[in-house]
Amino acid sequence: MLLSKTLRSSTFRLAILYVCLFGASVAGLFGYVYWSTTKYVKERYDNMIAADRRELLGTYAHGGRDALVRELSTHAATSPMDGDIYLLSDADYVPIAGNLKEWPAVARTSEGWIEFSPLDWRSNAKHRPLLRALVTALPDGTHLLAGEDIDDMSAFARTINRGLAFGVTLLCLLAAAAGISITRRTVARIEAVNATSRAIMASGLGKRIPTRGTKDEWDQLAQNLNSMLERIEGLVRGIKEVSDNIAHDLRTPLMRMRGRLEVALRARRNADADEALIAHTVAELDEVLKTFSSLLRISAVEARERTVGFAAVDLGKLAAEVADLFDAAAEERGVHLRCSAAATAPVLGDRDLLFEALSNLIDNALKHGQSDVEVSVEPDGVAGVRLTVRDHGPGIPAGEHKRVFQRFYRLEHSRSTPGNGLGLSLVQAVAQLHGAELALVEGMPGLAVELRFPALSVTDASPGAAPARAPSAAVEFDAQATRPG
Amino acid sequence: MAEFMRKVLVVEDDRETAGQMAACLAESGYAVDLAVDGNEALERGRSGDYAVITVDRLLPGLDGLEVVQRLRTTGVTTPALIISALGEVDDRVRGLRAGGDDYLVKPFALAEMLARVDALARRSGTVVKETVLRVADLEMDLLARRVRRGGVDLELLPREFQLLEYFMRNEGRVVSRAMLLANVWDVHFDPMTNIVDVYVGRLRRKVDAGDTPPLIHTVRGVGFCLRAPQ
Repeated sequence: MLLSKTLRSSTFRLAILYVCLFGASVAGLFGYVYWSTTKYVKERYDNMIAADRRELLGTYAHGGRDALVRELSTHAATSPMDGDIYLLSDADYVPIAGNLKEWPAVARTSEGWIEFSPLDWRSNAKHRPLLRALVTALPDGTHLLAGEDIDDMSAFARTINRGLAFGVTLLCLLAAAAGISITRRTVARIEAVNATSRAIMASGLGKRIPTRGTKDEWDQLAQNLNSMLERIEGLVRGIKEVSDNIAHDLRTPLMRMRGRLEVALRARRNADADEALIAHTVAELDEVLKTFSSLLRISAVEARERTVGFAAVDLGKLAAEVADLFDAAAEERGVHLRCSAAATAPVLGDRDLLFEALSNLIDNALKHGQSDVEVSVEPDGVAGVRLTVRDHGPGIPAGEHKRVFQRFYRLEHSRSTPGNGLGLSLVQAVAQLHGAELALVEGMPGLAVELRFPALSVTDASPGAAPARAPSAAVEFDAQATRPG
Repeated sequence: MAEFMRKVLVVEDDRETAGQMAACLAESGYAVDLAVDGNEALERGRSGDYAVITVDRLLPGLDGLEVVQRLRTTGVTTPALIISALGEVDDRVRGLRAGGDDYLVKPFALAEMLARVDALARRSGTVVKETVLRVADLEMDLLARRVRRGGVDLELLPREFQLLEYFMRNEGRVVSRAMLLANVWDVHFDPMTNIVDVYVGRLRRKVDAGDTPPLIHTVRGVGFCLRAPQ
């Protein structure tokens, strides 16, 4: 299974191509070395042979045939096997003098260079050695052959040939083995990704690609794909929650209205009662539509592309504006709403969404805290901004912390106050969009909701830039949780 | 107020919605023409002499934004109210950039739609640069930043002053909560709470103090209206 995958994989094909190219270039290199070496050696032999012949022809020119015969005989007697070959034959190729016993057959027809392997030359050798000679026809009809035993050279060539064949074969084998092993590893890692994809298609988004902890590019790919899956899963969960919420929380009021209208339809017409009923139903429908819009809005914020349409927003100024809007509401409740802000507290964000989120927090604090509310904007860390909305109210039971961010979740004691349980869900979505950390902190008494925004770097100010810090999905719950609104 | 019948072009492909809008506008004294698709809207928009055009964003054939854009390029400057089911901020910005003058998110209350159309219809008239606004015995000096009711100085916070100025500039017209938030606080969202009512309530206590005849009225289901007593 894995082997067939290995053979089919593109990495393996690439490895094979690489091996072929490498083998060809090594063979070419060896070929060139072979060619140039043998050429050099052959030229040296040819020069030696030509020099010998020149010498012999000189002897012939000075002393005639007898001097040549004498010279050859002397040489044959003193050093018969030094590699030099000489033979002088008559017009019918019958040897006269020299160290060859027989005039070679190949040399009978032509003059010039010949190569041949006589039977009787160096009879103790393992094979018939190769000789190279220059044949000259002398003016008196005799033939002179001067040559060299070049068997050394051919042996050298054979060695190079063997080395070449062996080397190239070994190289190709090693490269192929390396190719297969690399491909197997690659295929195995890809197979892990594929297996996870198939598992996700078959069962659901819960699966994750295993990492090996090597921090190599495969692990990075796996991690990136995993975080992508994480985000997709979150969005899908969001969509599912919305449809669940619609099923549970919007159907109820719609059913109620439907029942009311049905009853009214059956009853006798009464102008006053009908008018009251219609007005009541319109008001209630408005509430349903509002809730519906809020749900869609939260989902839209959650799914929105980060930083699209973002600009630098002075959070301090914004907080003052929101506090100003809620000033009358605080006055009506007989409590104080104070706002203290740093001189400049720039964050990168969407002003409308930040305004809305802060409105929800202040509204919650006023509504449920029933006490003075403090809004503060101050520097946080190196260049971050921390926004805190603090009240002095009764707080929230410890077990409710996580649930207050759920859509439609409302605490028992807050059911009598107006609200739809979506306020904090929106705050959370806006915080995530802005890469801000949303935390609930024990206020002693009361509680504080903290929003910590990342530093606004220079590049962030340019449109479409990424936020300085990746948004953290994790929300800290320190002690008391705030109430949903 | 209307010396002549002002005409409104309603571009909406859903017949029932279009009918409701037409009925609501007609009740307030507008003559209403309907267009059910983009091409019809272009034709009528170019030829007719309308005070306001309302355009649904999602239309069969030609997109609502495209309609407004083409009208603008052909020199039609009639104020346009873009109506859309897409409420995200980006969509609103895109709508205004295409040449729309206001943006209303579906679903909307008819009264809200009417308030927006009224505001746009007024905008198409001449804007007078006054330095003093007057409604009955209420007087606002925009240069001295001073407000008097029946000759008595009112102490207003800066934002309350802005709010009252907006009311007085729209005297006799219904302004919705969303319009107040957009024009006085410069934010675009629909608050889940009655925060605007509370704020207007405080302003009303200052303006309509004692047993003076009230100027600021709540209009059920929509918003508020500042008008001189009859």
